[in-house]
Amino acid sequence: MFLEISKIKKSFGEGESRTEVLKGIDIGIEKGEICVLLGPSGSGKSTLLNIIGGIDNADSGYISINGEKTADMSESALTMYRRKHLGYIFQMYNLIPNLNIRENIEVGAYLSDNPLDIDELLNTLGLYEHRYKLPNQLSGGQQQRTAIGRAIIKNPDILLCDEPTGALDYNTSKEILKLIEEVNRKYGNTVVMVTHNDAIKNLAHRVIKLRDGMIRKNYLNDTIIPASELDW
Amino acid sequence: MRNPLIKRLPRELKSEFPKYAVIFLFMIMVIGFVSGMSVASGSLMKCYTESFDKCNVEDGNLELAIRADESLISTLEEDDIKLYENFYIERDTKEVDSILRIYKNREEINLVSIMKGEIPSKDNEIAIDRMYADNNSIKVGDTLTVGEKEFIVSGLVAFSDYSALYRSPSDMMFDAIKFGVAVTTDEGFEALGEAGFHYNYSWFYNTSPEDDIKAKKMSEELLTSIAKKAPVTSFIPAFSNQAMQFVGDDTGKDRVMFIVFLYIVIAIVAFIMAITTSNTVAKEATVIGTLRASGYKKSEIIQHYLAIPTLVTFVSAVIGNILGYTVFKDYALGIYYTNYSLPLFDIQWNMDAFISTTIIPVILMFIINFFILKRKLSLSPLKFIRRDLKKNGKKKAIRLNKKIGFIHRFRLRIILQNMPNYITIAIGVFLANIIILLGLGFPKLLDNSSRLISESLICNYQYILKAPAETECEGAEKYCAGSLVTDYEGRKKEAVTIYGLQPGSRYIDIGGEDEICVSSAFSEKYGVGAGDTVTLKEEFGEKRYTFTVTGIIDAPVTIAMYMSCDTFCESFDYDDGYYNGYLSDNKITDIDKMLIAATITEDDMNKMSRQLTRSMGGVMDIFAVFGIIMFMLIVYLLSKIIIEKNSRSISMTKILGYSNKEISGLYIVSTSIVVVASFFITMPIVDILMRYVCVIMFSEFAGWMPYVVPFYIYPMIIGLGIAAYAVIAFMQYRKVKKVPLAEALKNVE
Repeated sequence: MFLEISKIKKSFGEGESRTEVLKGIDIGIEKGEICVLLGPSGSGKSTLLNIIGGIDNADSGYISINGEKTADMSESALTMYRRKHLGYIFQMYNLIPNLNIRENIEVGAYLSDNPLDIDELLNTLGLYEHRYKLPNQLSGGQQQRTAIGRAIIKNPDILLCDEPTGALDYNTSKEILKLIEEVNRKYGNTVVMVTHNDAIKNLAHRVIKLRDGMIRKNYLNDTIIPASELDW
Repeated sequence: MRNPLIKRLPRELKSEFPKYAVIFLFMIMVIGFVSGMSVASGSLMKCYTESFDKCNVEDGNLELAIRADESLISTLEEDDIKLYENFYIERDTKEVDSILRIYKNREEINLVSIMKGEIPSKDNEIAIDRMYADNNSIKVGDTLTVGEKEFIVSGLVAFSDYSALYRSPSDMMFDAIKFGVAVTTDEGFEALGEAGFHYNYSWFYNTSPEDDIKAKKMSEELLTSIAKKAPVTSFIPAFSNQAMQFVGDDTGKDRVMFIVFLYIVIAIVAFIMAITTSNTVAKEATVIGTLRASGYKKSEIIQHYLAIPTLVTFVSAVIGNILGYTVFKDYALGIYYTNYSLPLFDIQWNMDAFISTTIIPVILMFIINFFILKRKLSLSPLKFIRRDLKKNGKKKAIRLNKKIGFIHRFRLRIILQNMPNYITIAIGVFLANIIILLGLGFPKLLDNSSRLISESLICNYQYILKAPAETECEGAEKYCAGSLVTDYEGRKKEAVTIYGLQPGSRYIDIGGEDEICVSSAFSEKYGVGAGDTVTLKEEFGEKRYTFTVTGIIDAPVTIAMYMSCDTFCESFDYDDGYYNGYLSDNKITDIDKMLIAATITEDDMNKMSRQLTRSMGGVMDIFAVFGIIMFMLIVYLLSKIIIEKNSRSISMTKILGYSNKEISGLYIVSTSIVVVASFFITMPIVDILMRYVCVIMFSEFAGWMPYVVPFYIYPMIIGLGIAAYAVIAFMQYRKVKKVPLAEALKNVE
């Protein structure tokens, strides 16, 4: 198993206000899979994503990528783990306002010893002609594409997407999903995507539904619908 | 691959240009000034230190009451020394109100450096000290009447043994206005006659002492030995000769003071920078979180945010140093040449100054920012992404009494929210107050000292006679004058003038025959009061005298002891009826000048405040202006941060319908309260601190200067500060007005 999530438990607060948000999650994801984590607000999907990403700690259980367990890692080792294996995409694009589009993507490239070709990626992202613009000169969709570019330029093993279309309209959301799909196909990254949009599950290889900190469903799609054909 | 974040730096500098420009210029000015002072003082010290060897400067000098013949010289030289005649004559000058000490042209010891014109070659020529000449506007070619003899000034010189023009080692301060030194030809010297003649001899040890401790021991042994062989009236080893040592000591202290001042300023600027950067970190929290989540190391982010403060400081330091070596060095040289009589010297590269004004400020800026940033950036990436930048979880809001009006509570919340900024403002106000008080208060302190001298003057003229002489002068009163030195463990020995007064003296009333009083200056400086015993010792001997103090005489600047003539004679073994001087309000004209050893007037008493006013007057003005600028800079930068930090709240209050005036009433008035309160709270602390520092500083000098700054100076400083703040408040009001309504809707996640 490429990405192994084993017996992950996580709670917040103490005493009476203690809330258990993850109650022992076990998931295995194969390399190159697109995995969608679905669930209502408070189901624990973002917390799980953050634990996979090494930016939050589990109370117990472990995450293993290619046999490398994150729970045993020091802070600096975790940083190197993120640097080496992960790309992050958030609902808000979090671009650096005074760097242009190309430079924002270079911020990701700097972290890799063997980054993808920036110009080729800019073309893939449809941003080549905008490469010298600042983020505030672009639309929300273009900014999110830049954020995707920043995440995948280092060709990470795993692309973690936290509500990547949450702030976008229907058409732009579909464009972004198409892009993620294309990146997955072209570069073979494993994608773990958190969303509460049920329709998005159809483009995934694997669908995991969470509720109250537990896995309610975990299945592989028999039929995958391309992002361009999704509707909601 | 180069870190692409580097590309942000010039854009960050550009977007925050006013802020960085202000900090940049301020640091350039401070570093430039301190660099100029350090470089000039370093070069001066080099020239000064080298001059001792180059000019063959004596190991000490002594004065005898008689001229030593060859046999006495030989006897004295048995103490492993070599003696050189270095006679001088002191005379009043006619064209300027001063006393000139004239030596013969020097060829062997204590050589003089010619700075303008020529060394005298004719018997009517004289070369005078350059600083004395400058202070009295005397030029080469001018006529100067010394006593009765007219001289043509042939040159301006620097004496290697008079870098500071101390007339006497017991003087509290040198006096380069009313006292000067000069050289003339042997014939010119002989022509001056016998009046005011001093049998002064310079000595060299045959085996030089290794250090000052050894020199002190050797000089004590020498004095003990010589005093048994000849009538010594003065004995000044080089290490205790203020005229020779003051420049070295004072310049050393100056350098330390300026460097400490620089470090304090840099530390304040570093804190401001750190607060600014922390604010930027808070603004860019989500980006930082994303970068950290993507694999950027904490150290890479810290490095990035450290770059601008370090770079700005480094560039400021480099430019400041360039200005230090070019522009400010001339200013610094001007200060030193105004104060000290020094030969011309070249500015030299100074590694210490470079380290102090370039490397250390950069390190200081780096360290302060590093630790603050390290703490700020120690949070997890997730916390940054969530903009949850509280270190210790979510703090509970402090409960404020509901009886406090809403507006006041709002302001209190702003103050509590921005506490680090306001604490830095308070520290800035505290430091600015010190600097402004120094600038405005110090000249007043000197004025006050002059006033006190005038008010507490015993009489207009105090004469000290070489031999008894009668006078018909009206109001002249015989008195006994003597001098002992203090003998306090761990403190410098200081001359105490002993007055023996006539019963019922019209000039000083000690209250009775058996009373022994000390001056209020003595009392204040050494903590002596009525009933205490005081032990004083001979300056050139080992005999000690113990007196029981019965009262205090109001003499706030003179270190003196007062007793009756009878007690004086009894204490010092003089015959009844002995006297050696006159106190008089009128000038005595019927005593042969040859019999007068010294005349002390108000001018003599005022030499310290006069010289300090001349030396430091200009610098003090700069201090005052600098203090105001520093205060404005600190308040401007920090209040700007507060407005920026609250721009979304300001925008929201605008949306809610608050007017700009009302919003300013909340945000700017909060800062105003802190600024005004800081002035009122820190001013008494500053006053106590300055009083304490002045007491320590004046304890180092001979004599005393009471710390009295007129009360109006304090409200004046507060008024100036508030007026300066009004300018800042107006700028912040414009900033509040410019906050757009859309700000509240931006970046809401």
